[in-house]
Amino acid sequence: MKKLTKETLDACRSESQRKRGNWIKVGMSTCGIAAGAGDVFAILQNEAQKRNLDIRIEKCGCAGMCYAEPLVEVYVEGMPQVVYGDVDKETALAIIDKHISGKRLLNDHIYNVKVDRS
Amino acid sequence: MTMGYKKIVLLKDTGSTGRTKEFYNLFLEQCRLENLQDDVQIVRVADIGMYDKGIVVRIIPGDITYAGVTEAHIQKIIQQTLKNNKPVKELLFTRASKQMRVVLKSCGEIDPENIKDYIACDGYQALKTMLAKSSSEDVINELKTSGLRGRGGGGFPTWMKWKFARQIEADQKYIICNADEGDPGAYMDRSVLEGDPHSVVEGMIIAGYAVGATKGFVYVRAEYELAIERVEKTIEQAREYGLLGEHILGSDFSFDLEIRLGAGAFVCGEETALIASIEGKRGYPSPRPPYPSVKGLWGKPTVINNVETLATVPVILRKGGAWFASIGSENAKGTKVFALTGKVKNSGLIEVPMGITLREIVFDIGGGMLNGKKIKAVQTGGPSGGVIPEHLLDTPVDYENLQKLGSIMGSGGMIVMDEDDCMVDIAKFYLKFCVDESCGKCAPCRIGGFQMLGYLNKISEGKAGEDDIELLERICNASKKASLCGLGQTSPNPVLSTLKYFREEYLEHIRDRKCRARKCVDLLTYHIGQEKCKRCSICMRNCPVNAISGDKQQGFLIDVNKCVKCGKCFDVCKFDAIIRE
Ligand SMILES: Cc1cc2nc3c(=O)[nH]c(=O)nc-3n(C[C@H](O)[C@H](O)[C@H](O)COP(=O)(O)O)c2cc1C
Repeated sequence: MKKLTKETLDACRSESQRKRGNWIKVGMSTCGIAAGAGDVFAILQNEAQKRNLDIRIEKCGCAGMCYAEPLVEVYVEGMPQVVYGDVDKETALAIIDKHISGKRLLNDHIYNVKVDRS
Repeated sequence: MTMGYKKIVLLKDTGSTGRTKEFYNLFLEQCRLENLQDDVQIVRVADIGMYDKGIVVRIIPGDITYAGVTEAHIQKIIQQTLKNNKPVKELLFTRASKQMRVVLKSCGEIDPENIKDYIACDGYQALKTMLAKSSSEDVINELKTSGLRGRGGGGFPTWMKWKFARQIEADQKYIICNADEGDPGAYMDRSVLEGDPHSVVEGMIIAGYAVGATKGFVYVRAEYELAIERVEKTIEQAREYGLLGEHILGSDFSFDLEIRLGAGAFVCGEETALIASIEGKRGYPSPRPPYPSVKGLWGKPTVINNVETLATVPVILRKGGAWFASIGSENAKGTKVFALTGKVKNSGLIEVPMGITLREIVFDIGGGMLNGKKIKAVQTGGPSGGVIPEHLLDTPVDYENLQKLGSIMGSGGMIVMDEDDCMVDIAKFYLKFCVDESCGKCAPCRIGGFQMLGYLNKISEGKAGEDDIELLERICNASKKASLCGLGQTSPNPVLSTLKYFREEYLEHIRDRKCRARKCVDLLTYHIGQEKCKRCSICMRNCPVNAISGDKQQGFLIDVNKCVKCGKCFDVCKFDAIIRE
């Protein structure tokens, strides 16, 4: 990596902002990991790979809702951005099956729906 | 961009009746009758961001929210909103979150291990603009306008600290980030370091520029393994990208960072002890003045700031001091992160504008009390703070207000307590923590703490007399006045504030030998209520010390002389026949 300068920082910003498309983020701070986010992350990654899904699976920090960890946020184009909580292995699979593939939201696990995107 | 998603109806019963499922079925049924099942998805949600508003229905797209919905409204919602996109006016509710995320904005949004994610969210823009356009004085003036005060507990104006350090001529100055975070129940700083570590690093570089320091240390407690790992990665990446090291972003300014690990002693969060610890000495505090900004690490001018304070700095430079000062209350500007825990439904990290009331925090953000019990008090400021009783929950949260009430803002731990919490026990818990953590250098804290704890133990064991309260108070005041550092100066706060608001409870322990919250084991007795007892013998079989005797014909009795008051019988009895008084 060439060192950034005052002039090239903005270019780096635009380039970094460009990544779009579908994504899943798993809260992987101490609170999330303690609640089992590590397993959830691995399952999501495995399944996505196995099914050849066009989706990025990323880590993020603590969103604050520690009572509902592990938290998984999902964005699929054409659907609202959703935060799922209390995600265990079964729920992680259901997210892939129902939300990502079936384009339907899961019952009883949604902690937030963000609509400002599309 | 397509708005192409089909209609989604989110619903939840936010009251105590728990009718979410039933209502969901009704709604589903009626949508089927209208043949809407392919166009509308109905979803039961776990949390809808509102509490005690009856059944809440939120419809997307359009983001219409209805509160207090009943069965009778379902048809109207279907006909007007789902079919014709018209709101049902009488049910409309404006959702407004009382949180405001400034420091935590990117926590949970970005990948903390990827510098590009931070850069994409305007990361290092403040640094760039500063290096291009601002003098060190400009930066300090901007902070002055913002009104930012330290978030580590003391609440000292950040700009002043920076100004003192800037004014002094020295061949070397230092910036220290205090990430020791030792208050029980507090984890704000850990979350920021784990979730958005670059914001802290950017804040430190800016501080370095403002005071003329070229070297910084992040002092983290060794237990924070993940935070340490992420800060290490952050420093590496920042160096690789030319944001740390020589000639930052191609400018003349150079600054670099190192991590120092603390062994987890609470007193090492105190700035002078922390500095001693970095110097490789024993973590003992020393008298101030001189303040670290004059004579700090290795005798050089040193700015020491809390994680949250530093993470706030880049946002202030980016959006302007005036913007920051427009948030909050008269006395306290901006936002504050709190770790909300205890007997509250939604425990977690919250960020709120200063001046919000404790009641709003507990009920509108925290979702109210766990198990529907009555709130008794909120503890703020950890072992240096105090309890704020229910009748004062409408006080706006800021540094001065909390202090007036005998507590402090502290670093942001906030523990909600209900009727099951005994105030003597709470005072004992915090004081015990401080006694364990006292470094022992000064007598008022070392001996005073020990003595205070002795009195509290006496009270909770039912062995104290009424004059003991007075003696306890005297030692509290002596420790406050005469201790060398903040630890001993503030450790009496939990005792004094519980005495101030819950003196009656102390007196009950002393006079009546009673603990109304049933926490103080020595004041409890267990016996069996014969009317309720079904003689199942489960208590006898579970008693670890064989204190229960009898048989299924005669019934059972607890021998109070043998009983160790462990509560096992109380827990296992299915008929509420064990009486605990
Ligand atoms: C016993 C004791 C423990 C402290 N622990 C911390 C701590 O864990 N983190 C922190 O930022 N400040 C802590 N402080 C406050 C620091 O001494 C210092 O005031 C603070 O780091 C200054 O940063 P600020 O101005 O940004 O708040 C502690 C103070 C005392 C007396």
